[in-house]
Amino acid sequence: MNTNPPSATREPRDHNLPVQFTGSGSEYFRIWIVNLLLVLVTLGIYFPWAKVRRLRYFYGSTEVGGAPLDFHGDPKKMLRGYLLTGALVLLYSVAGNFSGFAGLVAFIMIAALWPALFKSSMQFRLANTSWRGLRFRFKGDVAGAYRAMVPLFIPGVLILSAILFVPDEAKPPEWYFAFLGGVMIVMMLSAPWLWWNLKSYQHNHYALAQQQTELRSTVGAFYIVFLKTLGVVLLAVGVLAGVAGALAAIAGKGLWSPGAGGAFGAAFIAIMIGVIGGLFVVQLLPRPYFTSRMQNLLWSRTGNSSMRFRSRLEFMPLLGLTLKNWVLMVLTLGLYWPFASVALARMRLESVSVTTRVDPESLIERARAHEGEAAGDAAGDLLGLDIGL
Amino acid sequence: MSDPDTSALQRADAAHATLAAQYFDGQSARAQAVTLSVSGPTLLVRGESFVLDLAVRDVHWSERTRHGPRVAHLKSGGTLHCPDARACDAWLRAAGHTDSPVVRAQQSWRWVLASIAGLALLVTAFALWGVPWLSRAALHAIPHSIDKELGQAALATIDKHLTQPSALDTAQQQRVREAFARAVAAQPAGSVPEHELLFRRGRGKNGIGPNAFALPGGTMVMTDELVQLFDADPTVLSGVLAHELGHVQHRHGMRMVVQASLIGLLSSVVLGDFSSILAAAPVVLGQASYSRAAEREADAHCAAFLKTAGVSPAVMVGLFEKLSAAGSRSARDSNDAKDRAAKTDDPPSWLGIAIASHPDDRERIEFFRAAVTR
Repeated sequence: MNTNPPSATREPRDHNLPVQFTGSGSEYFRIWIVNLLLVLVTLGIYFPWAKVRRLRYFYGSTEVGGAPLDFHGDPKKMLRGYLLTGALVLLYSVAGNFSGFAGLVAFIMIAALWPALFKSSMQFRLANTSWRGLRFRFKGDVAGAYRAMVPLFIPGVLILSAILFVPDEAKPPEWYFAFLGGVMIVMMLSAPWLWWNLKSYQHNHYALAQQQTELRSTVGAFYIVFLKTLGVVLLAVGVLAGVAGALAAIAGKGLWSPGAGGAFGAAFIAIMIGVIGGLFVVQLLPRPYFTSRMQNLLWSRTGNSSMRFRSRLEFMPLLGLTLKNWVLMVLTLGLYWPFASVALARMRLESVSVTTRVDPESLIERARAHEGEAAGDAAGDLLGLDIGL
Repeated sequence: MSDPDTSALQRADAAHATLAAQYFDGQSARAQAVTLSVSGPTLLVRGESFVLDLAVRDVHWSERTRHGPRVAHLKSGGTLHCPDARACDAWLRAAGHTDSPVVRAQQSWRWVLASIAGLALLVTAFALWGVPWLSRAALHAIPHSIDKELGQAALATIDKHLTQPSALDTAQQQRVREAFARAVAAQPAGSVPEHELLFRRGRGKNGIGPNAFALPGGTMVMTDELVQLFDADPTVLSGVLAHELGHVQHRHGMRMVVQASLIGLLSSVVLGDFSSILAAAPVVLGQASYSRAAEREADAHCAAFLKTAGVSPAVMVGLFEKLSAAGSRSARDSNDAKDRAAKTDDPPSWLGIAIASHPDDRERIEFFRAAVTR
């Protein structure tokens, strides 16, 4: 980029910014293994430092139009965030043990805090990400975060409240199952809308300098991706049914034997094998399908009047890569993970490009971005909320 | 993290060496070509129309990597980018910049191999000693009432799917109870945990066969099929119950639950990023191995219990031989594919080394033989 003579022309023309990922699996392997050991030896205290190192490596390896991204987060601040969030999670898991009511109260408290934490998390992550020296910004407000996330918690609150009206938890009445089923059906039918609602909040508020993005996708497009994925799931379930039949024949009789640890442990093991086998087939096929279709939909519809993203992530190569990663992960007892994640990042990132009518060199930042709270970032990590940038 | 190296940078005399770089001021996305040079405690950034005079200790260089850019974060919010990472590394070295120990470890395959070995050692030590020790410690903190709840839930599930009420008459049940009660009475006072004995009949044609198991909380279940198989000899059944009592004594059921959580925690730290399913695999493998250890513990308890009660542990040898014989008969009758695939001298599937949750029968027979003379 820097070879272009600056301000040679003021005519608006299209600038094509390809995304290139220059990371290397073997290098990330070295970073990962050393930091993993440090995290384990320090009983987890080192985690934020390891995470910053990982993000700086991945961001630094991501070149947009020849210029790398960069991460600026402060591990010390992030450690505070983790401790705070850890305490919150602990409180929540302890509360559930006391009574149904305490569990409901704790859930409502988390639900009430969650959107604010989510917004903080987005703000922290973007404000600490830079390109060509400019920090990104997340311009979503707290009210928007509540609109985006409160619907996600409604089924949980309904189910937990219903339990309070059940006299004996061991033998719930019929209406409870009917209610549960109803909530589940509504939840499944509204899942694409919930996802669209959440993603709109995110993609409508990414900003760099004066450029802010918006998501120009209808809910209908989300429903189509979800429906197609459901089709792939049904296909996988068909395959699974065959495998499960064979497994049941093998495992069915081999469980019970004199011995308690035996009976208890064997039942446990059988259940685990079933769960692993099931999820394996259900995840292996539908997940890369959903990932590729959703990434393409989300990013190809993200942009504004003078810039747009384009994502062309294909299903078959992603499926091939996923299968290869799985096999090698299992064969190497997990040591392949850094290679897998670099390969996955390369495929997903390099399928994206940016086209803009604004000369990137002309972007100017007026105000320094507000950082938000590191606690939000930690919350996203601990409770498995991927902000998926 | 990168503070300790600045003093070295200050000491170095690298004033004459310069490096080409790009400067971003943090307000504009425009890259400005600059040359860098260090003079004593200051870094000079010379641009076309400006010179920045920065304290070296306020300049934070990114960690050295073989791929990817070299970037410095400035206190002002600006950044320096070096497109030529190699030249930049050479220049920094000449200026006296040193890498942190972690970075040196990351860049050296020798340290990486040492880390792999360290990790393997740590994981092995955790699995061998950490998990059993931690779960024993956790057991002290977990009240027995939770064991009981867990046991009741398990019994409800078993009654629903695997067993039905016993068809034995009360006299038969009473004989077994009394024989075991006599053995318990012979034990030192206070050494026998709280327990309860239930009789159940297997459900369905293939059922659970001659079987006995202990649930968390002290409930021991014995099947009609097992009682019928050994009705001639209540001392053998007492031996089986002594084994189950060993599980109750050591709270094995509860320990399984705690151990599963511990292994799950570790493996999700190591593998969870990739896939939570793969992270569950060590839990399954770990359970099988801990389960074998638990069986050995219960066998040891059984042998000691029988000797105190004046019964020779040899009765257990008879038990395994008879179970084995009954099992291979049922295996021949059964058209279960796995049973037929099993080698003829293998124990029957319901004796349960299929998923290796129990040690090999021969090993257990040897143990009880040796226990007779010990």
